[in-house]
Amino acid sequence: MRVTIPERIFRRSLSIFGPQAAIIFFLALILCGFAVAPWSIIAAEPDLKPGEVIGTDNWQKIQGMVGESFLNRVKAGHKIQIKEPKVYRPLKEYVDATEKYSGKVGLGANGELLNYVAGQPFPKFDPNDPQVGQKLAWNFFYRWLGDDYKTGGAVKGGKILRAVIEKDGSERRADLVSYFLFPSTRYSLNPKPAIPGYEHIDYIQLRVDSYPRDAAGTTTLEIRYKDPTRADDLYIYLPSIRRIRRATTTQRCQTLAPSEFNLDDINSFNGKITDFNYKYLGDKKILANISQEHLPFNRKHGDYLPLDEKWHIVDTYVLEITPKDPNYCYPKKLLHLNKVTFDTHWTLMWDRRGEYWKEQFGFFTPVKLADGREVWSVGDVVITNVQNGRTTIVTATRAYNQGYPASMFSLATLQSVMRGGSIE
Amino acid sequence: MASNYRKLVSAIAANLLTALFCAHASAAEEPAVDHEWGRFLREKVSFSGFVENTTGLSISHGSHFFNTSNRLDMQRFTFQPEFNIDVAEKFKMFISWRFVAEPRYNAETKSREASVQPAGTGRALPWDFWSEYKAVPWEVVANVAPTDNLQIRVGRQFISWGETDGQRLLDVINPQDLTIAPPAAVNLFDLDETRVPQWGLRMLYTVRPVSNTILEFFANPGFEPKKQRVDEFMPTNDISDGKADGDLRYGRWSSHPEDRMAVARLFTNPNAINAAIIPPQFATAARTVVPTFTRDYPDAGDNWKIGTRLTHSFGELNAGIGYIWGYNPQAGDMVFKTKGVGCLPPATGPLCRIGAAGPFLPTTLRASLVNDQTNIFAAHLNYPIGDPLGIPIKTALRGEIAFYPSKPYNISEFPAKNCTTGQVLTGDFAARAGPSCKHSDNLVEKNTIRYALGFDRSTYIPFLQDDPWRAFRMTFQIFQSVIMDHEDGIRAFGHASKIRKISTLLTFRVGTGYLGDTILPDIFFGYDPAGYYSVNPGITYQPPWNEKIKISLTSAIYGGHNKYSGLGFFSEKDSIFLKLRYQF
Repeated sequence: MRVTIPERIFRRSLSIFGPQAAIIFFLALILCGFAVAPWSIIAAEPDLKPGEVIGTDNWQKIQGMVGESFLNRVKAGHKIQIKEPKVYRPLKEYVDATEKYSGKVGLGANGELLNYVAGQPFPKFDPNDPQVGQKLAWNFFYRWLGDDYKTGGAVKGGKILRAVIEKDGSERRADLVSYFLFPSTRYSLNPKPAIPGYEHIDYIQLRVDSYPRDAAGTTTLEIRYKDPTRADDLYIYLPSIRRIRRATTTQRCQTLAPSEFNLDDINSFNGKITDFNYKYLGDKKILANISQEHLPFNRKHGDYLPLDEKWHIVDTYVLEITPKDPNYCYPKKLLHLNKVTFDTHWTLMWDRRGEYWKEQFGFFTPVKLADGREVWSVGDVVITNVQNGRTTIVTATRAYNQGYPASMFSLATLQSVMRGGSIE
Repeated sequence: MASNYRKLVSAIAANLLTALFCAHASAAEEPAVDHEWGRFLREKVSFSGFVENTTGLSISHGSHFFNTSNRLDMQRFTFQPEFNIDVAEKFKMFISWRFVAEPRYNAETKSREASVQPAGTGRALPWDFWSEYKAVPWEVVANVAPTDNLQIRVGRQFISWGETDGQRLLDVINPQDLTIAPPAAVNLFDLDETRVPQWGLRMLYTVRPVSNTILEFFANPGFEPKKQRVDEFMPTNDISDGKADGDLRYGRWSSHPEDRMAVARLFTNPNAINAAIIPPQFATAARTVVPTFTRDYPDAGDNWKIGTRLTHSFGELNAGIGYIWGYNPQAGDMVFKTKGVGCLPPATGPLCRIGAAGPFLPTTLRASLVNDQTNIFAAHLNYPIGDPLGIPIKTALRGEIAFYPSKPYNISEFPAKNCTTGQVLTGDFAARAGPSCKHSDNLVEKNTIRYALGFDRSTYIPFLQDDPWRAFRMTFQIFQSVIMDHEDGIRAFGHASKIRKISTLLTFRVGTGYLGDTILPDIFFGYDPAGYYSVNPGITYQPPWNEKIKISLTSAIYGGHNKYSGLGFFSEKDSIFLKLRYQF
């Protein structure tokens, strides 16, 4: 008869400590196990082969490689298939900029970036460096995202499809479009590396709701400044009053209802880098899909599970994010950063009681630049609130380097949004 | 005749819409019929809109003058189809039509006719409160961007300045139809549904995008036809203007149409001034003035306006200055001007007497409601306050100011006086207000400043939420209007309620969402320190299984120490509304 590892540990402790102490020791072990669950950094080398199907009888093979909630669905009967991994190559311009500028980049006393121009700030880092977490965070923030992009631009219909699914399977749709401009880290479009006058801005986002009708035309203009002490600017155009309103961005935890995202969940982690502490927890192989085949993926109405997408193993860095503000909503957030692209595949969040709260996974898909080169873009992103059972799915494939003029990202655009959400 | 015309227009519009809709649908399925058009419709044209039914029921005790006035006060059906057309990358269009059918409650019509209509002087009340069947689009705009920095929008449109919530201060470019919704009821109909679109041009030139330095210019040439729509909430002596165009409606939100101040008494009555020469037996009749108000919306050429504005960001502060020149169509800013006096036929002569020795009949007065040509100097600012000195204020501050030089006001004597003797009128002649003795035209011009400060904040109140991180949006605003060199007796145009030197309104609004924003409560409070208030709670249900459906229950409640002034006007019109809306 085969004896499992926990059983062996229990029997061994029984012989060493006696029954009472052994039970306490064993319970302590279990509690420790819960403390690191649902995501264990120390994972065995996965034994997964392309073509293999994972289901109720062999779910243990992917334990620790996917979120707990997702794993529970696999345990309950959902099947996933393993495929050959796909590898993306960093864009040459980005690599060139990294080589050109990274040598002078450093960190300030509060974790701020010094002498940064463009490219990956810290292409080489020592895992034993006490600041390695901070450096990984900056590498994540300044990963290649094009010079601009339209989220949803590569989705049929040209917009982000968003589905909000209740615990009972009820489902609503709420579509939008989002435009990003990175005016100070440009690799392909002139002027490079920065649009004159915009050197102090990391990005500007223009987000337009397009469906349903009453929300259509609601538009936000958000500006992220390099200055670590300056909060983002946020302006909102409300079609119901046809006015632009200023909003504060300091309440970053508020739920962007009806979705399960908050301001800092956008693109997995959208917080101001200097507002958090970072800890590198190690390398890890996880399951992901960076060559999504269907946009959006096929699923059953009222459920978020992808039906015919395959998964593969991806090497990641695990980055733990803890806030400097003790009142922040997530005392712990884990990112799993792709070692090549620095995008995140799984993002896990805990609440202030230390309970597992949300898990998010993002598929990626290949897209083409204007010159025909293949790059990657986020495909479908799924965020599940495991406490209330709600899930939000967005299909948000990007169209990169569209050459948007800087003037498009101004209040004039907000004032010219059409009632249906259309902008120039 | 009018009914046939409406039917014809409705049929044409319905056929047109059906054809467009079918073309769009068929194009999606089978483009072979007309490949190019099919592709254009499929890829460039999107169709949306809404259908809505609103039912309102008055819940207050009503008036003893009407046996039906505290019943159904709204039964409105609205259908608004909308088309977005992306003609080209730099050329987009938006077209919408609004079709509204809102019949008047028949029993109320009859009751009001019997109670209010001065016998023999007026006409029957129309069957409807609001009918909109025009083939002319409600909104039709073409947006063109000749360069990256220049946006031009031409067409029938809305142009809105300012940032206030629920109220309007700088948002004075388009007029607001005050017959559409009860006052200060922002949770029932938002501003977008009560403003009136106007033909015009708007240009936005982004001088420097990084600092949001934007130069704006707009021009409304005044192509709008006459439309009675701005003064109906006022408790005026609302009798016919004598034109058979069905514009006699009686304001639903005039709480006391039956108790209306005889506005005519606020105007100079030539016979009353010469009361001493009227034989005592005719004095009562002779002092009466029967006003004939024309309330025409100014014709083309009388409602044009142009304006310009420059906005800029100074660090975190965003601010702007602007200027509007032209005619101001806002209801509250209009004045009655005397256009002439006469006699009720068959009386003639200065004493309105039938023959040389016959009885005296009431005089008549033709007072026209006009919006005056004006200059408005405007400015605004907004600034986010984060955590100064470690204090988590986390509030967006905004401010607006408008300066109206020489703004016209109606003015009267309080109480009514004999301007010859200076004595307060008593007995049958007594009135709360009477013609101004100092200003014979009942008008005075005063420099006026209006400003608003607003504070917007999102706050977590975990114990009141199912999702502790679903914030409550809170807005506090203060509005003040200051009349420089104020004179006692300045009043609103439609009644005898004085306007003080400084008028103040405080508003507070709070709203949030529950259960994934399927339940959305919102409440809006208005408070006038002079002793009036309004409360407008609303709750909306959006089913989790269909984003297109919205069901709202809203209430509009008013109160105050004086039902002839301020928000007290509406104290007998507390209502509850059920709104069903389907978006498509």
